[in-house]
Amino acid sequence: MIHPSHLKEAARSLLASKQRTILALIGIVIGIGSVIAMVSVGRIVQEESLRQFKEMGTDILTIEKEFGGSGPPGMPGAPAAGAAAKAALRLATILAIPSRCPGIAAVAPSVRGSGDISFAGKKLERCSPMGVTASFLDINKLTMRKGRFLSDLDEQSRYCVIGSQVAAELQKQGASQLLGSKIRLGDNLFTVIGVTNEVPQGGMRRFEPNEMIYVHITTGLRVFANAEIQSITARVSNGTTNNAARDQVMAYVASLGKGQTVRITSPEEIIAQMEKQMQMFTLLLGAIGSISLIVGGVGVMNVMLVSVTERRREIGIRRALGAKRGDIRGQFLIESVILSLIGGLFGIIFGIGASWLIAHFAKWQFALSFSAILLGVGVSNAVGIFFGYYPARQASLLDPIVALKSD
Amino acid sequence: MLTLRDIRKSYRIGPTEVEVLKGVSLEIQQGELVSIMGQSGCGKSTLMNIIGLLDRPTSGSFMLDGAEVSYSNDDTLSEIRNQRIGFVFQQYFLLSRLTALENVALPLVYRGDKGTNSHERCMELLKRVGMADRAQHRPNELSGGQQQRVAIARALVGNPSLILADEPTGALDTNVGGEIMELFKTLNAEEGITVVIITHDPGIARQCKRVAVMKDGVILS
Ligand SMILES: Nc1ncnc2c1ncn2[C@@H]1O[C@H](COP(=O)(O)OP(=O)(O)OP(=O)(O)O)[C@@H](O)[C@H]1O
Ligand SMILES: [Mg+2]
Repeated sequence: MIHPSHLKEAARSLLASKQRTILALIGIVIGIGSVIAMVSVGRIVQEESLRQFKEMGTDILTIEKEFGGSGPPGMPGAPAAGAAAKAALRLATILAIPSRCPGIAAVAPSVRGSGDISFAGKKLERCSPMGVTASFLDINKLTMRKGRFLSDLDEQSRYCVIGSQVAAELQKQGASQLLGSKIRLGDNLFTVIGVTNEVPQGGMRRFEPNEMIYVHITTGLRVFANAEIQSITARVSNGTTNNAARDQVMAYVASLGKGQTVRITSPEEIIAQMEKQMQMFTLLLGAIGSISLIVGGVGVMNVMLVSVTERRREIGIRRALGAKRGDIRGQFLIESVILSLIGGLFGIIFGIGASWLIAHFAKWQFALSFSAILLGVGVSNAVGIFFGYYPARQASLLDPIVALKSD
Repeated sequence: MLTLRDIRKSYRIGPTEVEVLKGVSLEIQQGELVSIMGQSGCGKSTLMNIIGLLDRPTSGSFMLDGAEVSYSNDDTLSEIRNQRIGFVFQQYFLLSRLTALENVALPLVYRGDKGTNSHERCMELLKRVGMADRAQHRPNELSGGQQQRVAIARALVGNPSLILADEPTGALDTNVGGEIMELFKTLNAEEGITVVIITHDPGIARQCKRVAVMKDGVILS
């Protein structure tokens, strides 16, 4: 039924009606593109979460001070101004967590600062200060490229450790020697004592390690404006489940009796959150994809129906020369399949581009999914057959003599 | 080779039924060169389409090579057209997107055999009709006479035993028509192909061994 000359023929007749063909293709391109993007974003997220699990480990909890949200009613000392301001978590309280909660092996509290940062009088972009403890490096799986990290002996010091991005920025500003360079944070000058290695973007950390300027937490609490410890990274002890460790911390914070509450996030939750985000994309892309595929399919059907009407004479001639109904049906089916495969091809390119963009903006690592490409080819093939069948059948059922006499 | 017995064909136009063929009986032997003449509208083309298995009679019997074919299924009819009948039409009916060579090859495409030597076969036939040097031309680059030659090559490519030509020279001037007619005569004489030609041109008809005259849906002689 399928003869090589049919393929050549099909290409030719599609070219003969370019405009109509292109219009029909747009729907297919968008449809297949969305399907491809949907599948490959799913794949990217899957790989991303795996990567993050591997990178950070599954035994890390993020403890954050809860803002807003009404504390237990009638608590003494609750500020009248509203729920926003609750008593800060004190550093000593936090540092005591490992000793009070056996399920927690180590904690790394941090405090974020803001304000202008400059080097040699020039403003540094894209970097932000953070006060941390010595435990911060290990818990966050960071490594040093140069110099040393902050130690517990650096309390109240004016030393800082910088991320790779900041280091690059300094070098751009003309720092010949990173270690020993002086960075101005607000009114204070800090001396660089170390540089951390570059870390891939994204991930479960709530900060961009490459863009950080780390100072000791005691320094941070003193020099940062409105400094308050808001986020604590904690490592769960071996043999303790994340949930058990979380309950211990919750109980400990409650026992402080200051109306403080914390929100504790485990890696599972972060990944679940990521997957939820992905499901949204999937839903959106799935909806766009299926609608466009139907629109595109109807477009293909239209192109083919017009083509059948325009080529009745040709059909008659072919029938006179011995083409069977199946031959005619096959010829038009091949055309509609080729039409939607061309659309599918552009759709695949479009879809890969779209998923690259999504990955880029969600800061996930892009991965090309081969199965998505196969799916694109398969789906466009199916659209071609499904929507091309009716016109092809119409063509095949034409009476030879009626077809031959038409013009 | 073909026997028509009391073939009738009527068309229903709205409430009225028009009988175009009113009982045609005709017998044509293998190797004959027959022309059919008659007034316009008397049903010549209708009869030709029935003989060519493009159309079905309303009633009557049509035996082709000793087998009743008027009630065969569509695929069988297609196969017979492909294997045994060559058509030549007044309007040539070449496919405009295909080259002369590709047009000639069309019947072979529907044979199922992937014929590796089909190219040579088509070239040979183009040479035969004097069109070898135009093999790569498309129909709109050819004159009417040239197109009809290509159409004849196409009709011959499948080695048919019967050629049906419905006013093959109708759109051509007398000279060119004469050349086309010569071609049919040679085919008939040299290869024994049965040729049936519908024509309005007495000059053409005179060159045929037998002339059948149609009037009002029946064959007179
Ligand atoms: N599909 C049809 N429906 C109704 N009437 C038809 C149809 N096809 C042909 N006819 C009628 O049948 C009659 C015979 O037509 P046909 O084409 O066989 O004539 P013809 O002898 O070939 O004429 P010409 O020499 O002009 O080609 C005509 O009157 C025509 O109107
Ligand atoms: Mg006629």
